[in-house]
Amino acid sequence: MATILINGTEYPIPEGEKLNAIQMAKRVGVEIPYYCWHPSLSVVANCRMCEVEVGSKDPKTGEVKMMPKLVPGCQTPAKDGTVLVTDSAKVQEHQRMIMELLLLNHPLDCPVCDQAGECGLQDYSYEHGQSNHRFVEERIVNPRKDVSDLIQLNQDRCIMCTRCVRFTREITQTAELQVMRRGNHAEIATFPGVSLDDNPLAGNVVDLCPVGALLDKDFLHKQRVWFLAKHDSVCTHCSTGCNISVEENKGKIWRVKPRNNPHVNDYWICDEGRYGYKDDSAPDDLLEAMYVLKGDDHVAVAIDEAVRLVDRGLKQAVIGGRTVAGVLSPFLTVEEAYLMATYLKGMTSDAVLAVGPVPARGEDRTFSPDKSAGRSGDTSFLAPRPFTIHAEKAPNARGVRAVIEHVQGAVVEYDELLRKVEAGEVGALYVASGSPTDWIDEPTAAKVREKVAFLVVQDSRVGALAHKADVVLAGGTYAEKAGSYVNADGRIQYAGASLPPRDGSLPDLDLFAVLLDRPGGPARSSDVLAELAEAAPAFAAAKGGTLPLYGATLEASASSPRENGPPPFVDAWYAAMGAAKAR
Amino acid sequence: MATFEPVLTRNWNVPDARSLKVYESRGGYQAARKALTTMDPDAVVNLVKDSELRGRGGAGFPCGLKWTFLPKDRKETLMCVNGDESEPATFNNRYLLERDPHMFLEGILISCFATRASTSYVYLRFEYIEATRIIEEAIAEARAAGHLGKNIYGTGFNLDVWVHRGAGAYICGEETGLIESLEGKRGWPRIKPPFPAIEGAFRKPTVVNNIETLCCVPHIVERGAAWFKSIGTPKSYGPKLYTVSGHVEKQVCVELPLGVTCRELIDDHAGGVWKGRKAKAAVPGGISMGLLSADELDTPLDFESLRKPGCLGLGTAAVTVIDDHTPIIDYLVNTSRFFAHESCGQCTPCREGTGWMSKTIHRIKNGGGRIEDLDVMLHLAENLGIIPGTTICGLADGAAWPIKNALAKFRPELEEYIRTHQTPGAGPTPLQLDVAAGRRVDLFQVGNAIAAPPPAAALHSPGRPDA
Ligand SMILES: Cc1cc2nc3c(=O)[nH]c(=O)nc-3n(C[C@H](O)[C@H](O)[C@H](O)COP(=O)(O)O)c2cc1C
Ligand code: SF4
Ligand code: SF4
Repeated sequence: MATILINGTEYPIPEGEKLNAIQMAKRVGVEIPYYCWHPSLSVVANCRMCEVEVGSKDPKTGEVKMMPKLVPGCQTPAKDGTVLVTDSAKVQEHQRMIMELLLLNHPLDCPVCDQAGECGLQDYSYEHGQSNHRFVEERIVNPRKDVSDLIQLNQDRCIMCTRCVRFTREITQTAELQVMRRGNHAEIATFPGVSLDDNPLAGNVVDLCPVGALLDKDFLHKQRVWFLAKHDSVCTHCSTGCNISVEENKGKIWRVKPRNNPHVNDYWICDEGRYGYKDDSAPDDLLEAMYVLKGDDHVAVAIDEAVRLVDRGLKQAVIGGRTVAGVLSPFLTVEEAYLMATYLKGMTSDAVLAVGPVPARGEDRTFSPDKSAGRSGDTSFLAPRPFTIHAEKAPNARGVRAVIEHVQGAVVEYDELLRKVEAGEVGALYVASGSPTDWIDEPTAAKVREKVAFLVVQDSRVGALAHKADVVLAGGTYAEKAGSYVNADGRIQYAGASLPPRDGSLPDLDLFAVLLDRPGGPARSSDVLAELAEAAPAFAAAKGGTLPLYGATLEASASSPRENGPPPFVDAWYAAMGAAKAR
Repeated sequence: MATFEPVLTRNWNVPDARSLKVYESRGGYQAARKALTTMDPDAVVNLVKDSELRGRGGAGFPCGLKWTFLPKDRKETLMCVNGDESEPATFNNRYLLERDPHMFLEGILISCFATRASTSYVYLRFEYIEATRIIEEAIAEARAAGHLGKNIYGTGFNLDVWVHRGAGAYICGEETGLIESLEGKRGWPRIKPPFPAIEGAFRKPTVVNNIETLCCVPHIVERGAAWFKSIGTPKSYGPKLYTVSGHVEKQVCVELPLGVTCRELIDDHAGGVWKGRKAKAAVPGGISMGLLSADELDTPLDFESLRKPGCLGLGTAAVTVIDDHTPIIDYLVNTSRFFAHESCGQCTPCREGTGWMSKTIHRIKNGGGRIEDLDVMLHLAENLGIIPGTTICGLADGAAWPIKNALAKFRPELEEYIRTHQTPGAGPTPLQLDVAAGRRVDLFQVGNAIAAPPPAAALHSPGRPDA
């Protein structure tokens, strides 16, 4: 078995992976500090922070020979017989020197810098630096500039790691960013007449930047990061299902950051998902309470009364021999869809379950990094992973369909349901939406209202149909509910709730649970998922109700095996740091 | 020494030597014909390996050995000729280009044949406008005469030579910086491995050689490895172009066997130190290589001997003489400014270190020096470069060496300079010193740096002394 010697201890090297010294050391709990290296970008070894002592062990004699000079860990492959020393006095002295050099021209403006609290310079200064330095010359002062409408560059804080430049060259392959000038006057800049405005993944350069040089203007000076509580979630803006961290303080979301998932989004999210949180929580447009149509007007009623009215209305329709139909939008979680389907089918097996319209915009856009083109450094450690922004702008069309298929046998399409409504075949209609945008326009809403005797709308926002409904149930936004979604590749992933339910509303899962009169207190999505996995073979992968960290594929195929493989290396700048971690 | 017959410069004084006609009439392209028509490429490689020709570009890496690093099963090889000659005071490549372009082309032709490269890029320094024109004319002539192009000498060997002009950066002389620049990118040296021989320009196996290195190849083919090894000193064989400039009577470029001493060069070839003065020091091979003091001028200028006096190496064999009227601080001002300006800005130690050293040296020059500045710089210089392993390329070593050598050899003079040149206001301010030392800064005390208002009197502060 291949082994590596790190700080005097021998460790086995995992098979089938090409790891560098940083990754290998991290696997066994040894931290090698670094700035410019990033697991998804080529190796350029220019920050020089990760230098360690490297040697080799003779397989026969066991003799260890060290190289006289320091070598960057990022460009050192973990091979059989490699010897690494990461904590010697020589290495620590070198780290102190690099910290001193990086801070020569760095302003001491942490008190006004957004990065403070999650900054690579702060963390490594504390760990590897020193509190004084020998530099008594004048510092270089560079003005701030914008690289796009949403991203600001504070050049004096930049440490020239070129992560941002490599991202635009290697991942998006749009190459908007470059380095200008030489030596310590080098600057990051956009090419003339170019900005990051048209780059749909632009926001990622802010996350990549290990210091406070590239900052998000949307977040600029709004919050100190240590006040933010971070919640693991999944983006609902398209069917990719990017893993995100929703960061909130006192119930208000301030920003959305990507979480690493090598099977889905790697380290990235698109700007639509990143800034989408604003539409989702625009306060004037959210439903504040449950409403019932009294005469011509909607009146707010208590939650239990609204729910009772829904149940009664639907049951009367069944007794009256009229058809009951439900629309399950692709924004519902798997668990919500399952409870809604069981509720309606439990009332009458004739109930019609239709999937809501799946919004689509533009075309799928895939960024497939290529090892051979556009790269600027050593690419031999890379496993390039494509990133796709899907045209399908809903998170769970596959999950909802699979649930309906299980409960009803076949899926009724939305258009087909509309035809049934128009033909007057539907007596009572229960629409569960949760869509962040309107997907029923005024004329359709009017038509539906005219034909359907009893209309229930469950949504988080006020839509055209809600104005006409008999009962309006206020459900949760994506941030207020927990549950799982099935993405475009058939991977089921769990998204936790980031915010408590707003006043006057109830998360959709709870609404269905109340309608179903489920015993055992508030519904837990994991219990529901476990039930579903037990009942439906399609969801067998979710057995037990808890999903692994990177989710699980419902149907194993060659491109997406059921097993997730070993956990890949997670870039340190993504791990929650400092106080924010403790909350 | 009397038996030494110059070969690299043999056509320099012949009228019209640049033209193909004259070059051919003096035996030109015979070596190429011999290699291409009678030898196997590997035989040429072995011949060059046997001659122990070491690269003339600065690093002195054995040329034949470098060629054997190319992968055996390669489909395509590229030959990049390094003509970026930007090392200050170096002009031997320029003479070769301007005075005998066809000898250079013949060198390319044989070397490309040996390495099986059918494309060659000649990367020329931006400022060599005249040389660019001359070499382009020579290429056109050689192509028309069948020395370049398709099916050369009926052997089926093809070769295209392209001239590429740089954009004025020293760093593009570093071989991987050159390759990046050739590819149209910013001239940022690459990390090695992979070495260019495995993955170079356009991700293909690439050989990078200096102009003078290639110019030696035809003569080796013509006269044999034994002839080549009969010239020079052990481990440093062959003829070498030395340039002498600075404070000498006559600035020259001469061809001599490797291993001539610095003093011989100055006295016998450059007419001695100018104005009847004495030499204080001499730069042995371009400013990256450090400094020889006056008593070290008898050091032979070859690949091995310069280690003893603590220099980095032979470099480009460009000797710059500094006379005894010149303060060493002026030498340091010039070198540090050069390296701070030319550092590409990629590696943290080089980017920040060269800038820092340049600022400190300028401060000393302007009368704000402190003795401890010398130690700070020395510590920095010792940790800079590929030798301690802290940078990607050798520019940082070159930046460190002048400082290391000057401090080792002229420290008393520098200390004396600092003591006797103190100008008020030129040194660091108390505020800068406090910030650097991590001391709490009393803004009120440091009134000259920041005019801070007196602390506001709080309404309820009974304990306040002046309340
Ligand atoms: C900063 C730096 C600048 C260099 N500049 C030149 C140059 O101008 N010309 C040159 O031939 N080699 C230069 N070199 C050396 C090249 O990297 C390389 O060693 C050389 O081109 C190899 O050719 P050779 O083996 O024929 O000497 C430079 C190296 C460094 C580190
Ligand atoms: S702006 Fe940030 S990411 Fe870009 S080079 Fe500077 S420090 Fe690195
Ligand atoms: S050592 Fe200096 S010049 Fe060389 S690559 Fe690094 S920063 Fe650039």
